Amino acid sequence: MKNFFSFLCFILLTSSLFAQEKYTISGYVKSAKTGEELIGATVAVRAKSIGTSANVYGFYSLTLEAGTYEVTYSFIGYQEINKTIELNSNQQINVELKEQVNELEVVDVDGEKSDNNIKQVEMSVNKIDSKTIKKIPALLGEADVIKSVLLLPGVSTVGEGSTGFNVRGGGIDQNLVLLDEAPVYNSSHLFGFFSVFNPDAVKNVKLIKGGIAPEYGGRLSSILDIRMKEGNKKEFTGSGGVGAIFSRLSLEGPIKKDKASFLIAGRRSYADILAKPFLNEGLRDSRFYFYDLTAKVNYEIDPKNRLFLSGYFGRDVFGSGFLFNWGNATATARWNHIFNDRLFMNLTTYYSDYDYAFGVEEDDPDDDFEWSSSIVSYSVKPDFSYYINNNNTLKFGGQSIYYNFKPAKAEFASNGARNDLSLPEKYGIENGLYIQNEQSIGSRIKILYGLRWSHFAYLGKGEKQIYRDTVPGIRKELESAESFDQNEVIADYNNFEPRLSIKYDLDEFSSVKGSYNRMSQYLHLISNTVASTPVDLWLPTTNNIKPQIADQIAVGYFRNFNDNKYEASAEVFAKDFQNQIDYIDNADLFFNEQLEGDLLIGSGRAYGLELFVKKRTGRMTGWVSYTLSRSEREVDGINRGEWYPTRFDRTHNLSVVGSYDWNEKWSFSANFVYSSGTPATFPTNRYEIQGVVLPHNINESRNNYRIPAYHRLDISATLTPNYKEGQKFKGEWVFSVYNVYNRRNPFSIFFEQNEDNSLVTQAIRYSVVGSFVPAVSYNFKF
Amino acid sequence: MMKKLLYTMLVSFTFMACEDVIDVDLDQGQSQLVVDAFITNDSSLQTVRLTKSADYFLNAPTPSVTKASVKIQGPGLSYNFVSDNQGNYQYNPQTSGAIDSIGFPYKLEIQYENKTYTSISVLNPVPKIDSMTRSFEEEELGQEEGYYSQFWAQDFPGRDDYYWIKAYKNDSAINALEPSSLILSQNAAFSGNAADGLIFILPIRAAITNEEKPLEVGDTSIVELLSINADVFEFLEQLTIQANNGGLFSTPPANIRSNIKDAFGNPQDEVLGVFSVSAIETGSLIITAE
Repeated sequence: MKNFFSFLCFILLTSSLFAQEKYTISGYVKSAKTGEELIGATVAVRAKSIGTSANVYGFYSLTLEAGTYEVTYSFIGYQEINKTIELNSNQQINVELKEQVNELEVVDVDGEKSDNNIKQVEMSVNKIDSKTIKKIPALLGEADVIKSVLLLPGVSTVGEGSTGFNVRGGGIDQNLVLLDEAPVYNSSHLFGFFSVFNPDAVKNVKLIKGGIAPEYGGRLSSILDIRMKEGNKKEFTGSGGVGAIFSRLSLEGPIKKDKASFLIAGRRSYADILAKPFLNEGLRDSRFYFYDLTAKVNYEIDPKNRLFLSGYFGRDVFGSGFLFNWGNATATARWNHIFNDRLFMNLTTYYSDYDYAFGVEEDDPDDDFEWSSSIVSYSVKPDFSYYINNNNTLKFGGQSIYYNFKPAKAEFASNGARNDLSLPEKYGIENGLYIQNEQSIGSRIKILYGLRWSHFAYLGKGEKQIYRDTVPGIRKELESAESFDQNEVIADYNNFEPRLSIKYDLDEFSSVKGSYNRMSQYLHLISNTVASTPVDLWLPTTNNIKPQIADQIAVGYFRNFNDNKYEASAEVFAKDFQNQIDYIDNADLFFNEQLEGDLLIGSGRAYGLELFVKKRTGRMTGWVSYTLSRSEREVDGINRGEWYPTRFDRTHNLSVVGSYDWNEKWSFSANFVYSSGTPATFPTNRYEIQGVVLPHNINESRNNYRIPAYHRLDISATLTPNYKEGQKFKGEWVFSVYNVYNRRNPFSIFFEQNEDNSLVTQAIRYSVVGSFVPAVSYNFKF
Repeated sequence: MMKKLLYTMLVSFTFMACEDVIDVDLDQGQSQLVVDAFITNDSSLQTVRLTKSADYFLNAPTPSVTKASVKIQGPGLSYNFVSDNQGNYQYNPQTSGAIDSIGFPYKLEIQYENKTYTSISVLNPVPKIDSMTRSFEEEELGQEEGYYSQFWAQDFPGRDDYYWIKAYKNDSAINALEPSSLILSQNAAFSGNAADGLIFILPIRAAITNEEKPLEVGDTSIVELLSINADVFEFLEQLTIQANNGGLFSTPPANIRSNIKDAFGNPQDEVLGVFSVSAIETGSLIITAE
């Protein structure tokens, strides 16, 4: 460890020792149309083959020897600008790029510099922007961020309609889903059919599956970094739509021209409103709807200081004699500060909450019951970027998160007698510090290396529960419980997480990359259902639940073809998981003060090959993604202690996504997915108790069968009517069909007693979407 | 309870979902002894049923075990269960008294093919059913219009109690053969919490009517409240899950743990099933117009 820091100091020292008379140009690259920052825009001095790209806030910094340079600012889909700069002092230069006129010809899938995928050190990364997300045909025509992510290599799911996604053999809780840097604990509306992110308010989405830089931490398998769009700084605009599920409206505009702007976007499902006239009186009071509201304000205080405030609030509400609702709320405040031409800081503070509530809707307060559960987190996160020179970019910072878990706040009244049956709250604090340097060595090699230190303390007020050892797989009994006061440390853990990525250019069009990362995770989603439910609990690391740890190595070959029109990559990865949570048979996870007695700890492994080809520009864009992988767990007490495939293990996983702009009026999209069937546990025997036929597996095996493969084709067509020159209001119709060839894809196969003949037992194929689903939606902007 | 609600909602919203019966080839497993022994403290004929497990798709009654000997030992007394040669071993309490020493343990002893299997269950007390009431309810999501009954009883304070509630409309059990609708309660509330001494909470005391076929005027609503042991409570909870474990929110299929063991702890001689002794209280109400 000490060596590592000495090495880092050495690099910093040498880089400044050799510095000559040098000056820095820095600033922001923005869109001339909306004033929005262009993430990843390129700033280059072509004559000297020196360049950099703008960070996630559009900030760049380039250090050059004194002299006169022609600096080129460019971004795909925008006209490039050349500026002649006489460099004899440090300068702040902000530029605005105009969109290219002939949009049809240059539509780019991710708006990035065209050879970034080979030249950058980052690997195992996929980016999608909101334009692409909106083009992909979707269930009921509702463009969806998470469903788009499922089409990327290395990503799988237990089945359609389920919440979350699985990356390279990791559980759904191993993805850090960030909305403007605040974690979202449950990304689903309606149990997983739709995700909570409004595509109208999303700017771009970046999925990091491997080679994860030290600046990220807290989850084992991926970072899904969702950046919200910023409001238009130039003029007031709006957009919206009416679809089969949601009606949407978003408004944006300047608060102070070029300085401050806002964006507000809302969606609400309206099946309940449409259904109301058709329901009889008793059902008319039923409520079933979901909505979300996303808002953002940004303010450029002066050239050195900018402020962003963003928030999300969404809920699913069901009620009819009972009440059930759940949702997330997040709020983020960020401050960008430029200390000097080379030192950039972003300070993020956020609040994020997920909660659900459940109860009966009785007129009589003497007999109601209600319970609720939540996870609330508060965080401060400073991040610094120091542009040492053109060969070294140093980043360092930290994060502190305070958690408050309320597993169950429950109150029952029974005939007037009230009882508080709440389970005790739990508290924890997670800290992280990191330092990383991205270094170019010669013209071919780039290395990103660094270290993250993470720490978690399970805090009082609470109990340190100690369980008796028993045969693995059987409920552990509580032996003793020691009480701790508020903020006393009950248990704490430290982890050092080294990270390393290397890129080597083979030639102008291709490179090889390799990476290693160790990740640790202190939050655990307690869920043993196939698809996660809204009532699944998040729990902290405790004295019994150890931090999850994963080590991953990945190697890849990256090549672009045809003047970067096509990009291709092949990656292999191997991953080792420690302290994976599993559950005893028939575990009681829902309302259990001694839940830790029902948990089992095991290890996991995953490995695979990912192939990816993308056509980035032109009338026809899209990608083909293929993954061959295996994901397994080994848990003492399950499957006789032998390795078994996870419920989301899919051997082959293929996605083909394409869209074609036929003319100014019509464009077409299609996607096809194929994936091997997921594993399932089938019984060997039956027996009867009180007339009920029960299944039994004499070998105590887990996931011993596979259900049939999943495949599906979706298509859509978009009609944009002709509009007069200068007309502001524009509309488009989207016609789509999900599951075109009407396949009954199995989600699961289960076994039950026949309702009419209790002696007959049968295997049931359960399909979440059992037919093709056509939809029409209308989108507009003004 | 919660799972049922989630499932109800899911069914009402996943209008696109469907279920088909399909053919599946399964591995065959070795057959095991199965014990179905629910004993009550009343004077009705008491039965222990012994069968063998069979291939999952047997689609016929599982084979009976006729050549075993079954007895239950109580405080100072032993009750012999006589085989009817169809797998039932019976004891008539009219002969030498009911199995009714509240608070005492009873031991089941089965001898079969030179092996001995035993299990112990304590006869826990059960509270009286104070009264039953009914009310007329209008249609709501997942609930038809009609009369709904409730039973009123109070949990014993100061102890951990487990209950199994059986409900009947006239002569037939409601939700018969719908194991997911078994009504179970810990301390007159749901499981896993610290409730104590409550009147059975509303979601439980009102769970005794079939929501698809509620009561009509003239019907008789009958409820049986049984005290059970913690391990039997767990067995029945697992039974409700495993008998119908499908769909989006199914849990990994798992074997249900038996509370009956080979007397010599030999793991090869595992048996399936459950032994339970219960005290039982019964209540009934004839539905009249509101």
